[in-house]
Formats: sequence, C-alpha cells, structure tokens
Amino acid sequence: MSEQSSTYFGPAKGNILERRPLVSNNRSMGWITAHIAGMLEGKMPMWWLIAVVITGVWALLVPLELTYLVSTGVGIWGSNQPVAWAWDITNFVFWIGIGHAGTLISAILFLTRQKWRTSINRAAEAMTIFAVICAGIFPAFHVGRVWMAWYLAPIPNANAIWPNFKSPLLWDVFAVSTYFTVSLIFWYIGLVPDLATIRDRATGKFRKFIYGVAALGWRGGNRQWRHYEKAYLILAGISTPLVLSVHSIVSFDFATSVIPGWHTTIFPPYFVAGAIFGGFAMVLTLMIPARAIFGLHDMITRKHIDNMAKIIVLTGSIVGYAYLMELFIAWYSGNPNEWWAFLHNRIHPEAPYAWAYWSMMFCNVIAPQLFWFKWCRTNILAVWIIVQFPNIGMWFERFVIIVTSLHRDFLPSSWGMFVPSVHDILLFFGTFGLFLFLFLLFLRFLPAITIFEVKAVLPEADPHYVDPHAKGHQH
Amino acid sequence: MKRIVEHPPETGAAKAYWRSVEDFSHTEQFQGWLKTEFPQGAAEFWGDGVSRRSFLRLMGASMALAGLGLSACRRPEAHILPFTKTPEWQIPGKTLNYATSLPRRNGGAPLLITSYSGRPIKIEGNPLHEACKGKSDSLAQASILNLYDPDRSNRFLKNGKNISSADAIKALAEWKKSWQANQGKGLAILSEDNLSPTEDRLQAELSAKYPAAVRAVYEPATTGFAQAAIETAYGKGSIIRYNYEKAKVILSLDADFLTGDEATLASVRGFADGRRMENADSPMNRLYAIESRYTNTGAAADHRQRLPASHIAAVAAKLAELVGAKSLPIFQALPELQMDPKWIIEAAKDLMSAEGRALVVAGSNQPASVHLAVAAINEALKAQGITFEIYKRPRPTSLSIVELADVIKSGQITDLVILGCNPVYNAPADLNWTELQKSVNMVIRLGAYEDETAALSTWHLPQAHYLETWGDSVLQDGSHGCMQPLILPLYDGISSSQFLAYLLDAPAGVDKVWVDGPELVQETFKTKVAAFATTYAFDNAWSLFVRDGFLKDSKPRAQASPFVFAGASMIAETRIASPQALSKDNLEVVFITDTKVDDGRYVNNGWLQELPDGITKLTWDNAALMSAKTADELGIYSGVHVKGIVAGLTDAGIYFSDVITLTVDGRSLDIPFLIVPGHPDYTLTLPLGYGHEKTGRVGQGVGFNAYKLRTSQAPAILTNATVIKTSAPRYKFAITQEHWSMEGRDIVREAPIAYYKENPGFVRALGIESHTPENITFYKSPPFDYEKYHQWGMSIDLTTCIGCNACVIACQSENNIAIVGKDQVAKGRELSWIRIDRYFSGSQRDIEMGKGVIPSDPEMILQPVTCLHCENAPCETVCPVNATVHNEEGLNVMVYNRCIGTRYCANNCPYKVRRFNWFDYNQRQLDQLYWGPLGPKKVEETIKLSKNPNVSVRMRGVMEKCTFCVQRIETAKIDHKILTKRTERKIPTDSLQVACQQACPADAIVFGDLSDPNSRVTKLKTRELDYSLLDYLNTRPRLTYLARVRNPNMRMPGAELVGMSLVNARIHHHAETEGHGEEGAAHGDTKAHGHEAEAKPAEHGSKH
Repeated sequence: MSEQSSTYFGPAKGNILERRPLVSNNRSMGWITAHIAGMLEGKMPMWWLIAVVITGVWALLVPLELTYLVSTGVGIWGSNQPVAWAWDITNFVFWIGIGHAGTLISAILFLTRQKWRTSINRAAEAMTIFAVICAGIFPAFHVGRVWMAWYLAPIPNANAIWPNFKSPLLWDVFAVSTYFTVSLIFWYIGLVPDLATIRDRATGKFRKFIYGVAALGWRGGNRQWRHYEKAYLILAGISTPLVLSVHSIVSFDFATSVIPGWHTTIFPPYFVAGAIFGGFAMVLTLMIPARAIFGLHDMITRKHIDNMAKIIVLTGSIVGYAYLMELFIAWYSGNPNEWWAFLHNRIHPEAPYAWAYWSMMFCNVIAPQLFWFKWCRTNILAVWIIVQFPNIGMWFERFVIIVTSLHRDFLPSSWGMFVPSVHDILLFFGTFGLFLFLFLLFLRFLPAITIFEVKAVLPEADPHYVDPHAKGHQH
Repeated sequence: MKRIVEHPPETGAAKAYWRSVEDFSHTEQFQGWLKTEFPQGAAEFWGDGVSRRSFLRLMGASMALAGLGLSACRRPEAHILPFTKTPEWQIPGKTLNYATSLPRRNGGAPLLITSYSGRPIKIEGNPLHEACKGKSDSLAQASILNLYDPDRSNRFLKNGKNISSADAIKALAEWKKSWQANQGKGLAILSEDNLSPTEDRLQAELSAKYPAAVRAVYEPATTGFAQAAIETAYGKGSIIRYNYEKAKVILSLDADFLTGDEATLASVRGFADGRRMENADSPMNRLYAIESRYTNTGAAADHRQRLPASHIAAVAAKLAELVGAKSLPIFQALPELQMDPKWIIEAAKDLMSAEGRALVVAGSNQPASVHLAVAAINEALKAQGITFEIYKRPRPTSLSIVELADVIKSGQITDLVILGCNPVYNAPADLNWTELQKSVNMVIRLGAYEDETAALSTWHLPQAHYLETWGDSVLQDGSHGCMQPLILPLYDGISSSQFLAYLLDAPAGVDKVWVDGPELVQETFKTKVAAFATTYAFDNAWSLFVRDGFLKDSKPRAQASPFVFAGASMIAETRIASPQALSKDNLEVVFITDTKVDDGRYVNNGWLQELPDGITKLTWDNAALMSAKTADELGIYSGVHVKGIVAGLTDAGIYFSDVITLTVDGRSLDIPFLIVPGHPDYTLTLPLGYGHEKTGRVGQGVGFNAYKLRTSQAPAILTNATVIKTSAPRYKFAITQEHWSMEGRDIVREAPIAYYKENPGFVRALGIESHTPENITFYKSPPFDYEKYHQWGMSIDLTTCIGCNACVIACQSENNIAIVGKDQVAKGRELSWIRIDRYFSGSQRDIEMGKGVIPSDPEMILQPVTCLHCENAPCETVCPVNATVHNEEGLNVMVYNRCIGTRYCANNCPYKVRRFNWFDYNQRQLDQLYWGPLGPKKVEETIKLSKNPNVSVRMRGVMEKCTFCVQRIETAKIDHKILTKRTERKIPTDSLQVACQQACPADAIVFGDLSDPNSRVTKLKTRELDYSLLDYLNTRPRLTYLARVRNPNMRMPGAELVGMSLVNARIHHHAETEGHGEEGAAHGDTKAHGHEAEAKPAEHGSKH
C-alpha cells in the first residue's frame, strides 16, 4: 500500500505521465507560511498605497452616483419605455456571473478533489464576494423607490401582503442573497485556520487581538480539524447547487417572460456556462498580475493557468453552442416574432445593435478558441490578453439579451432605442473601482492563498511521504 | 407650527346655496368659501400686490433655505374644516355637473362639466344635445387645463408694468368718458369671432352708442372662402350644415371633416354612424378623399388620392362636369386634370348612383370657386335637404383685419381695443401689424396670456376663461348654447362681453364695474324666446336653458334654398385657372390649423403639446410636412439619424431633420421638416399656431411660426415657394412612434367588405394563432366568477375609429396623467395611458433597415391601444411585490402604494402599455427634472386644483397604466348600492362609461360588463370581426378589437388592393406553402388576389 500511495501523492521518478507538482521548486511548508503571511505582514509597497488611493477615489463614484440616483429618479439613466431595463440589469448579470468562478473553484473542485484549486480558491472566493457586492448594487438601486425595496422581503405585515412568489425577480432576491451568505460563510470558515496562523505570527497587540477575534479561538487541535473539515465539506455541498442555481434563476428573469429573445428554455444551462466562463476570465485577469507582483509563481503555477484556460475554452464553446442553438430554434420555431428578434434586432448588419451582437460573438465564441493552442495557454501574457475578450464579451452578451430583445418586440408602434446616459456609464465604471479597491484591501489584510491547504498538497503532507533526499543520504 | 385655519365669513342671510344663478355669482360667502377651499397660500393669488412670478421666486428661495429641499421629507400639513352650512347640492366627495359650451369659430361645442367642491375637473360632451350626444374632442377635453394654467394672464399691465386693477379701471373710466364725448371717434375695436349672440348684440349696441367707432373681427384660421361661396350661392346670411349620417357616398376635396378645421362633433358622429356595421350585411358609407396632406379623413377613406392643394380646383371642375353641373358659367373652361381621370370618373358615377344620399365637401383652404363648384355638384346630386341643409343666420357686419389695417394706416385711429386676438403674432404678414399697432396712440388689450400683442399694448387686461364667465354661443348646429361659470375667475379675468358691456350702459340693477352675473345673457335670451308672458315663464325657460346648456328647439330650421348664381363679380374672380406645374423649384405651401394647438390659442396647453399628432405622431413641435420624393430632390434629410459611431451612440433612435429656409414672395421662414408617406409631391404643409415668442412657459419657443409667411391675399395656398437647406445643425424632434410599418404582423386586421362577406371568419385566419394548436389550459385560470361579480371588458371598433385623439386627452384629464416635456418624450418616456398606433400599410420593407423605400402612397391604419387587462397578464406574474394584480372583476389593478418600480412588468407587457414615472413629474418643473436635490419640489397651486381627487397622483418611481377608470367603476357601484339599498349586486346594463369611451365622438370604444348578456360589449365580442391582439400569447385580453372593414368601389383604379395588404400577404404566403392542414376561412382562397407581392420578410418563419 505504501508503494502505491507514494505514486499517488508524490512524484514517481521515471514515470512519463508524471504529474507536474502543484507547488514547484520543492518549496517547504515554512517557506509557504512565510511567503503568504509575509504579504500582509511586511510593509506594503508604494504601488499598493497609490493603487488603493486611486481605486478608493474611483469607488467613490458608486455612492455619489447612487445618491444622485435616489434623490432624482431612475430617469437619470438612459432607460426608457420599451427598454425599461438596460445597463442596470446588464451590469447586475455581468457581475453576478463573475461571482461564479470563486465558489465553483472552492466547492465543486473541492468535492471533485481537484487539488490544484488550493492556491487559487481563496482569492477567487474573495472575488466572488466582491463581485456579488457590485452586482447587488444594481438590482437594489435600479428600482424606482429603493426606500420601499423591503417589500421584497417576506415580512408579515398588517396588510397581509406577501411578495409574489411567482416572480422570478423574487427568486432572484432569495437566490442572490442566499448565494452571497453561503459564499461569505464558506469563505470565512476556510479562512479560520489561516487567521489563526496570522494571529500566532502577529507581533503587535492590536493585530493579535483583531486576528485573534477573527480566528474564533482556533488552536489547530485534532477535534477542531475534524470539525473544520466536516463543516467545510458540508458548506461545499451546500454551495455546489447554489453555483448552478443562482445563474439559472437569474436567467429565469428572462426565460419566464414572453418577450422574443428572452422566452427561451436554453437559458439556465447557457447562463451557468457563461457565468463560469466569465468568472474564470476574471480570476485570471486578477491572479496573473497578483502572481507576478507577489511572486506567487511557485504556488500559482503554469499548470493552474493552463487548467483555467482549458475551462475557459470548454465553457466558451458551450456558450457558443448555446448562441447558435437559440438562433436555430428561433428560426425553426416558425414564430415570426422570435425570428425577428434575432435576425432584425441582432444579426442583420443593419440592425441597430448588430455591433453589440457581433462583438459578443467574437469575444465569447471566436477569441477563446485560441486556448486550443498550448502556446496560448502557457504564455502568460497571451493568456491575460485573451481572457480580456470574455470579460468584454460577457458584458455584451447580457446587453444583447436585455436591450436588443426589448427595443423591438411585438408591436412596431412601440419600438424604440436605448442610449446610455453618462450616469449609466459612471456607475458601472465606479463598480470596477469598488471591486478593485476591495480586492486590494483583501490582498493587504487577509492571506490571499490558503496557507494550510497549499501545505496539504505538498508531498511532505502525505503521512507516508519519504523524503527522497533523506533516503539518498541514508543509503 | 402655527395652525392657520381660514374660516369662511359668517353668512348672515340664509343664502348659502345658489337657488338662482344670481345668488351664485354675487354672494360674498361664496367667494370666501372658494378661497378657503384652496390649500393654504393659494389665496395669495387674489391679491394684487404679489405677482405670480414673485410668488414663485419666494417659494423657490424658501425651499432652498429649508435645507436643500429637505422640507420635502415632511408630510404636508393642511387643516381643512367641514362646512357648517353646506351649499345646496354640495356633498363632499360627490360631483356636480353643469352644462355649458366652448365658444369656437365654427360653432360652440356643447359641454357638460364635472365639478368637485367648486373645482371643475373634467369636461364631457353634453349628452342632451343631439349633435354631440355626450361626446367631445381633444381640444374641448384639454381646454380645462387652460383654466388652471398658472401662466395665464393674472394681472393688469400698463406698458408692461404691473398696475392695480383699481388704477386700471380708473384710467379706463377716463377713456370711456372721452369716447362717449366724441361718439367713439378714433376708437377701433378688434375682436375674435366667438359666435356669441350676446357679443353680437353688444357689438350692435356699441355701434349705436359709438357710431364713429370702427369694429373689426379677426379669426386667423378662418379663410372665409366657404362662407363667401355659400352666401354667393344661397344668399346673404346663409349657413350650410352637413348631415353626414345621411350620406352614403362622400367625397372630400381637401376637407378633413373628421379631425381638421372642417370637423364638428356632428360630422364625426354622422360619418361613424354611417359606417358602423352591425353585421356583414349592414349598409356602409363610402368615402373618397382627395387631399393635399395625409389627414385622418384620408386614413378613414376607402379611396384616397394625394394631390397638391392648388390642383384640387381642377378636380372640382371635372367633377362638376361629370355630375352635370356644368351649366354654371365658371366651369366653362375646364382646366387640365392632374390625376388619373378614371379615378374621378368612377367616383362621380358612384356619387350619381347614390343621388340624394351623396355629399361632396371641400376644405376651408380651397378657394371660393371650389366651394361654389361643390355647391353646384351637391345641387346636381340632389343633396340639399338631405345630406346638407341651408339655414339663415344674419350676422352683424364688421370690418376684416385688412380693412382695419387700412383705416389705421389712414391715421384715423387713435385708440385700439383688442379683445382676445393676438394680431402681433398671427396677423397676415403683409399688414406689418407690429408697426401698425405701434402707430396707434393707445392700445387696450384683453388677453388670456401676456403674449406678443400684450407686450406691445399700452394696457393689458387679463381675460377670463370660458369656464369662469357667463356667456352664450351659437352651437355647431346653430342652436343657442349657454355658457355659465363653474368657478370664480382664478386670476381676476374678465370676458370680452363684460368688457363690451362696460363700454355700454350697465343693465338695470347692476352697479359693478364688470357685469359678472348672467344679466347680459339673459337680455339676449329674452330675444330668443318668442314671448315671455310672465316672469315665471322667463324664469322657467332660463332655468331650463342653464340646466340643459342650450335652448331646446333653437336649432334653426333648414330652408329650402334655391341655388342662385347671383354674384356676377365672382365669375371673373373664381374662374378656375389651370393649375401650375409644381417642381422642386416651384413648390406649393399650404397652411393648416394644427390639430393640437388650433390657431395657436392652445399653445400653452401641455396636454396638447404632448399629444402625438394624429398622422406624424410629432409632439412639442410643428414641422413642414412633405413627401419623401420632394425631400430627396431637394437634397434634405429628415429621419432617424444614426450616422457615425458617436452619433449612433448618443442620438440613436432620435428623429432629426435638416432645417430648411422656405422662401415665398420674398418672405422666408426657417423650419425643420418631416417626411410623411402619402404626402403629395412638391407641396409643403405648414401647421399654424406654433413659434410663439412670448406666451406661457409651456408654449414659448415651441415650434415655428408659419404665420410669418401667410398674407391676406393668400391665407391658404401659396405657390412659387423655394426651399434651401440651412447650415443650422439638425433639429431634434420628439416623435412617439417612429416605425411606420406593421412588418406584416397581424396587429391591425382589416379587409374589404366583399372579402369579409365571402370569408366571414377572415379575422381569425389572419393571426399566428390560426397556425398553432388552440391553447388549452388544465385550469380555470384565473378563475372569474361571472355570476357574482361584474366582468369588465372593452371592445374597440377599428372601422369607426378615426384616430382623433379625443380619448387620449380625455384619459389624461380623467386620470391626472402628467406631462413629461419634449426631452423626455424624445427619450420615449411619455406617460399617456392610451395611445393611437399608426401604421402605413402597403410598404414593402422596414424603412429603418435602410433598404426600404418610403412608400409614396400607402394606406394608413390606426389602432388605439390601452392596457388590455389580460386575464393571463404577463405583467402580474413577474411583479415581485404583488403591486399589479387581478381583481375579481377581471381588472388588472395597479397598486401604486405597493409598487417599488422594478419595471419588470413594463418589460414583460407584450403591448407596451405600461408607463413609468422616471422622475417626479408631478413635483418638478419640466426643465429641472435632472436637478435632483437642487431643484425645488413644487407644484403650482392651480395645477393641484385641476386634479381629479378620485385618482392618485403618482410619485416618482412607480409604474402606471390604464385602470379601465376604476374610480368610475367604483363610484357607479357605490351609487347603485345606495340607490337600491344594497339589494342589487350589479349596476344596470351599460350605465357606466369610462373616460375614453365617453369622449369618443365616433363611438368606437365600448366598455361594459361581460357578465351581462345584454351589454353592448358582450354583444360586440360575439361578432365575427372580434379578435384579440397577439392572441397566440394566450394573454386573453379583456380589450378586444373589431377588425377594420373597408368599402372600396371595385371599379376604381387600384381598388383590388384597398385593405388587402394583410390578406394578400397571407394568401401569397399560403400559395408558397401548399398542403397546409388547418383550414381557416382565408386559407386556400387565392383565386382573386394572389399576385400582389406584399409578403413581408417577417412572414417567412411561419411554420406549417
């Protein structure tokens, strides 16, 4: 048994199909702890300070825009009568989609024992949470009377009026808030052992106190580890269906309606695939620079990037298939209104929003196909450039679905166009500031890589591990 | 906070109600009561000391001081007290109705006004009057907004400066004394033509008292051609009255008798009555229209021919020849006909075959010769006494404005009194009125607005609204109509008859400066009724007159009048010349009164400004109208401007037009233009009434003043006009419907009558649902209890709907619908709950897709769309907070208090009838919508008074839409419950009307209870023509349509295409796909009309 296990967990010499190690350069456990904890213990570089100030000011756009919005009215946006939802819901779906990769990596890859997840899951989960925060701003504030938004909550009241449980928008409220809550707990539970490490390494009293409180008295005892692992497994189990359900439910906002271009049964899987696609693109967008800046090459290896690129080409192809399938069905259904929504609202070169449709097609379907080439997956710069296409394309996907379907539906008398206002643009732009600002704070104050889990994928973590060097010396 | 409660003054004598109208107008306590009825602060409007402007300024400043508008966070506090002695009939929360009439140049409109606690809030037609039968039109409906217009003139001005009314009256008394001394020498009085018997009487008395004074009448929109011709043909004082309901075949020569200048309530009703079908065998009238622009009459016509206005005379001459009216000397030399002669020959044959039941009408713009020809044609068709009648109504003679100008030029006039007119704005351009008016020593002007004329007058007096004063009018059918005040003048205004009476001796027993009681009208009234033997008889007749709103049986009898061609001098003048050939270098210009602002008098009315024009759907503007070919040849652009990425991003979907300089006779006007399909080539139509330099805030600077081109010699049609493009940036229009084509969708279903008779079920065969299996549900969903509750439904007859917009304004007035301003309309945010969709049919391709050619001569179809109250409403399922739900009576109810404004319902509404409050339109000034907390939140007090108290005024952030006038439904139910002491569950059959239905002059909208087998709507819904819009979505709307049936004359050129575009598309499509299993009535019928390539690209996806 011991021989078999060693081939499983450790690199067996002479094997052609040898797995690349998840942590390269034979880094020791001590090195890992010191390196990751060092990111938040040492003095932060000047660029970080500058970046935090810039993104912090940038993020101020969000409260400013929201103040103007709430005090004045939703009319400050460009939305109008046929296009009552536009950038607001586009941005919501865009951000919520980005929030999918983190929990997918943490939960689904955990359950499927994909050990390469360990060095990216923490940051990806943080990204999820920040993305969901950015996402939540839009549906919360896009309503006409945000001060009455509590009507969405099933609060018993004297009028005995309940929310309408038939409305996909209400499902959305529950789905997104559940997803956010579970993701947050999952993330936090996963942080506890690392917070304890930081606490133990802390020198200052204040620092010790804060991390100490956050670490919930973690001592690393056997019982604690057993409880921890059970809890983490259960939360992973809860999170996994949520990853699939959130975007399915978001897609119901459209799929359950009667509007041609929305009324489509393919939406749930198509949206989930798209969300994973977009989420991984955003993970790579953030992790590649972070990896370079903090010298995390040994933990976030090319193998990780390669894997993620493969997921992108897979999900990108699923998305492409979905695009073509909805197109085919629109034609095959024989419903002239459905076909019009595709031909004249989107595809036709003279359709007013054809540019958005074809941008989407190029970014989401064509560009990721480059990842079939190994060079594209392993050249870090190429990867970073290519993943920008899904980032842009996935925004266009939501724009195309929402705006091009609404602007011309059943009665030509009520057709119109949507033009964004400056406030549409500024609020969306502001959420990027907020997202980056939060991510920078995360890098500074929390361990960006799960210290204890990375250690667990080291060969040394195997109880049956035998140090080849030590062996050599013995002989 | 100090509690301020204004108690009404103690009444003393027990006269707290107005048993007689004298009491009403005189009592002090009524005035006191009125003032206290208004919210706190409103009373300040009465003071002379505080002007409206300074009041607004103070309000604005105090808002700013109150901490950036935080005062808005506080609940408004108002302290109201109940009456201790209630005026008779006054029940709080209940309405009172008063009959009155709206004075108009073509005859007053009989009205019934609804008043809440002394506030008139809604206008309806007078149901007792047979010409309107309770119907009204958009202008009458909207005129109530003018009453409450905060911009209306509210102060006395001397040389543009505020002056107290007492000082003004003192000065006036001096002038009066001097005029009396010299018998009115040097005095000229210019007034509007209000067709008021009392004003006529006063004017006559004035001539007696001031024999040297000059009196002139000016109505800018009246060309006088028709009247001149009628008087030539039938003698002085003759008036023509048309009976459209008796006409089987009607031919219109540039007359828009359904919505234009020639329209009366009776003409619309008569035409609709003659057209309405009960079943496939119902007789149906036929309408031919030859017109110089697309009008609603042309849209309603079975055969329409576009022709420049100056070419129509030749048609009249040809028609006269064809029907055998050639014996008249004017028609001896026949001019060349500029259209297909077969068209006119067949039309003439049709007219002759309907001899005695045929009618030809000519537009007010057409010269007197055409009207004479038409009179001769109608005589030849033996129409007199049937489809038209002549009666006599002598009018006092007065000068025209041109003659007055000559008198002024000769220097005889030192004092000019202008009653109501605005000649500085709208006098003929050749008179150079501005200079003329300046040359007069003193000008006294009575006007409703501080407008262009007011600015150039020595004295300006505020004019009262017609709902504020006593008066009378000649109604459209000639009968004697009553005008009574519904409210005391809000701004101390006086009427023109009050002013005239001031110049005369006051009636006995009146010691006021302005006679504010009914004495003047009563004096006229005495002359109208043959003999009042006793005071009792007079009182009785007067009470009935005021109660009914008109004098019964006062409609003048028709007099069989021989057609005499007496005016020899007319022969030379009216000889019809050969029409000029028009080209892009010799354009024709036609002036029309606008269907919304009329001659300009409604320019400050926000409802009308925001009302989409019946044809162009243009709001907040006027534009030169022309055909696509004309624009192409002139090299000018008008359309949806999306050139360039940046332009496409910022201006996408917005209508832009080049600004052109239109020059004619050395006068020029810069104006943008619109392309209208079906407009004749080389002719431009210019709607009058816009481009005011000075008026209220709503109308100022809106549109372009076409009066600048109009001269006294050519008030209607001009030729030799040229157009050049200016370098000005493209002008932005706010158009509510930019798309012209139905794209082959089965939205408005229509067919000619012959096809309908062959295929009674054609309506169902046209829709997508004829290709899909029937929707079957497992559930009785949603469950409606037809036994226990009313089940409301509506039916709109597309055959009789003429798209006149009366319903749109009626709804706006009834339901407190806010206006949003031009900028917001351009963004697609208009709030109207009912809209009239206008499609051109017969076009090959979608114009916006670039490849399409704008159809040069399409048909037009119209469809009013409001909330359809779907039983399976897509909006309801998606609302997360249950703010839009169904009630047990089948209404789709919108709960404003619950709405949080997700707008999901609007997205999911396939009919796009939901309207969102993007801003606080009811709280903010239209130019400050984007100011946010920096803009003051305030509404003028008078605007608050105008609201219907039974309908919530919606705030920002909530969705709104048609409620089927739920407030009317509930009122009717409550009233009936009380009346029957709760013994009856349902109100009587058809005892309730919703606002749009009540206004509809064509009676095309029918609302009622579907659970009542006897109701009209239930019966209409069993008709073969009944169909649901977008039926295949299974929304099961409660509003269904009756398909449009047209009545073409199959011998006419192009008749085989009339009303056939949808049917042809369907047939063409079926011919392509043989072997179709399901057989609808239209299926397989390819024998007659299978060749027209009308198939639309959208059709190609249809599955079989």
